[in-house]
Amino acid sequence: MKDIKIKITGTSGQGIISSGDILSYATARKGYYVTTYRAFPSEIRGDGKCYYTLRISEHQALTATGETDILVCLDEDTIYECMNAVKPEGIVIYDSNLVKELKQTREDIVIYGIPLADIANEVNSARSRNMAALGIVVELLKNLHLEEQILNDIELRYKLKSKDIIEVNKKALNAGKKYAQEQLTRKDKYEKAQIKSTGAKLIMSGNEAIGLAALAAGCRFFSGYPITPATEIMEWLAKELPKLGGKMIQCEDEIAAINYALGASYGGVKSMTATSGPGFSLMQEAIGLASMAEIPVVIADVQRCGPSTGVPTKTEQSDLFAAMYGTHGDCPKIVLAPMNVSDCFYQTINAFNFAEQYQVPVIILSDASLGPRRECVDLIDFDKLKIVNRKKPDLKEGKEYNRYEDTPSGISPISSPGDKYGEHVITGLEHTEENAPTPAPNVHRQMTEKRFRKLETAAGEFSKAKTYGDDNASIGIISWGSTSGAVFEAIDKAKEANINVQALYPRTLYPLPTDWIKSFVKNKEVIIVIEANYNAQFKSTIVERCTHINKGTEVLEFLKYDGTPFTPEEIYEEIKKVYDLQNSKRDLATNKHTHF
Amino acid sequence: MEISDYKGRVKPSWCPGCGNHAVLAALKKSMCELNYQTHETAIVSGIGCSSRFPFFTSTYGFHTIHGRALPVAIGLKQARPEINVIAVGGDGDGLSIGGNHFIHAGRKNPDITYIMMDNEIYALTKGQCSPTSRTGTITKCNPYAWTADRINPVLMALSFNASYVARGYSGDIKQLEYIITEGLKHKGFSFIHIVSPCVQYNKVSSFEKIKEIVRNVPEEHDRKDKLNAMKYAFAPEGLFTGILYQNERPTYEERFNEVIRKAKEISGDNCTMYDIMKQFQ
Repeated sequence: MKDIKIKITGTSGQGIISSGDILSYATARKGYYVTTYRAFPSEIRGDGKCYYTLRISEHQALTATGETDILVCLDEDTIYECMNAVKPEGIVIYDSNLVKELKQTREDIVIYGIPLADIANEVNSARSRNMAALGIVVELLKNLHLEEQILNDIELRYKLKSKDIIEVNKKALNAGKKYAQEQLTRKDKYEKAQIKSTGAKLIMSGNEAIGLAALAAGCRFFSGYPITPATEIMEWLAKELPKLGGKMIQCEDEIAAINYALGASYGGVKSMTATSGPGFSLMQEAIGLASMAEIPVVIADVQRCGPSTGVPTKTEQSDLFAAMYGTHGDCPKIVLAPMNVSDCFYQTINAFNFAEQYQVPVIILSDASLGPRRECVDLIDFDKLKIVNRKKPDLKEGKEYNRYEDTPSGISPISSPGDKYGEHVITGLEHTEENAPTPAPNVHRQMTEKRFRKLETAAGEFSKAKTYGDDNASIGIISWGSTSGAVFEAIDKAKEANINVQALYPRTLYPLPTDWIKSFVKNKEVIIVIEANYNAQFKSTIVERCTHINKGTEVLEFLKYDGTPFTPEEIYEEIKKVYDLQNSKRDLATNKHTHF
Repeated sequence: MEISDYKGRVKPSWCPGCGNHAVLAALKKSMCELNYQTHETAIVSGIGCSSRFPFFTSTYGFHTIHGRALPVAIGLKQARPEINVIAVGGDGDGLSIGGNHFIHAGRKNPDITYIMMDNEIYALTKGQCSPTSRTGTITKCNPYAWTADRINPVLMALSFNASYVARGYSGDIKQLEYIITEGLKHKGFSFIHIVSPCVQYNKVSSFEKIKEIVRNVPEEHDRKDKLNAMKYAFAPEGLFTGILYQNERPTYEERFNEVIRKAKEISGDNCTMYDIMKQFQ
């Protein structure tokens, strides 16, 4: 068996997320690759449903979406809701104390009704049904040898809470395991399931990867305002930044958050903030200030469904226009889109390097499916990372320092308070090279060009777009950000059906790397742009900017805007549809030729 | 340092007779008195007539966006606690669009000085009512009738728990120097409210009219007595100037030193990225 997909579901407050977290940490620490997907409602407790999917595999799996091997349901509704997506011969586990008789069933899967409430009550903890269920899973997959690691992880997770919680959870886990050993008649095929362990690796969420990279890049100042699904970044940094002498400051609103970061960056300290849609809208004016006054700053936008409050816990890629064009005026900035958790780390390193080198705001577009998702990341060699610091001027007594000196690269060396002979005033007003405000037409033209010239200089430094699939494919997919897992898996699936597809993932979305796109589409008959928004925001940008595409290649769109991430299956279906359409067009053309 | 060392590259663009000239002169004198080095000092402002201030001195300066002088100044101070940080701006900038930040500056108590030049009008946009415009002020934006009451910045600062609160008047430059110097010396958030008349757009609060109502806070006033300070701030008759309140408490920077100390208790002093990575293994 190459991989096993486990899905734990229930109502919020039942411990779905914590049991999923414990299981995913334990699997990674055992040396298996694990990829997760979490979905939960915005209410902390209530009727909202929680879903935690984790996929344990020999190789780095690209997504955790799609069909399930083992479904564990702690409530009744999710049994019927998720049962159809269980693989043939897969397993469903439900609480037989809660559900006396299933209203719906399937012949081709194995269903175990387990008295989870009884098991939990035996250890005097009615709330530990989740751990009892985890005990069942541990026994079902006993060849994965997860038990010891899970017991360790329970201890790690709750060590700041209380000894009692640790004991109760451990007992419930053991009781579940014991029940499965002694009272369950196995009918499933997972008893011998084994996955090769591939050694030490890291497991972290997309949000944590952004935080970790910020520290590695030298960020020592973070200011933010709590907002789902970005809060995890500030919480993680609140815990870690002070260890390195840095500060995480919770502000009164997002406007304050970004302005604190600009103040800190003006002070010479690498600074960042993180937010989601509503906060990102509030930050726009200050992003323009950073662009105009040329202050390095990094902003992570963990996108959620919008506009307005939207669906706070669900995913969407609909802030692209806001990131590229949200600020008034001609506003040079850089927008990056990491593809997965590991890429969250490396693109955040890039974000700081670009911000510091080019003195621009850099926006990282993550989203609600990528931010909270845990994935394995290969061990990081921090000593080998390339870290860029801002260029300092050569300051001397009596030598006039001009903060906005117009240079061939557009980059003007930057001094910070404390630097002797480097005193200057920065401003959001248009200004001369000598940092004096002016409305002079020639100055506004010259300085606008100077600021944009930095992006031209930067273009040579951007990470290459990632391609996946066959170079000779006639069907191309252009997409961005968190869709990559589902798209790459769909491409693998299409290949099995002899359909060649190649995908292109630019990690820099603004300034738009038109050269990459032009050379990618050169030999493609049709391009499908895949993104999670209604407006086809990236597609319209490509079509508008790469005029070449308009004439040569057909550009289609495949969009999703229901708050859930793309699955490989639905992308594969779309590829097949396009493939069939291309074939029938070709046939039609041939027929025409014969007839006339 | 000489006062002339603080002269900026740009010549003050305020109207002749504007109250802000006195504030600029007083701040330069105070900085000189305290031997502030220009490279160790930063003046941060928002948008408005008075917010042009940083261009007119030779220190580091940041002319930000409307209403945001305080968050930028506090961010700078947290990143570089050794820098002298002074925030400046007007009544519209600090009480209207930036009002929220004023509240939180008070409760956080960063060691910065905030000088608010209050001309009771939006002057850069040519005369509209501000949050401190006096009852009955008629402008192009309320040509028929007076529509909203005024607020009291000093009373606000006291209730937001600012640890130093003073009020001055542009017609008394000697007192300005005194309250600014004391404010700069004060450890914590010092708020200095300066009634600084606009000679162009505000005929209601002219130098002459303000002069008539100005009174000094009595010598015997106990600066730690907040309730009494509130009485002076709120006095219906007269405009009380001087230091109304001063009571030091731990600053924001000191509280963060404690955060860092506690974190390092767990991580050790020489924590590296590899140590931090361990939690993911």
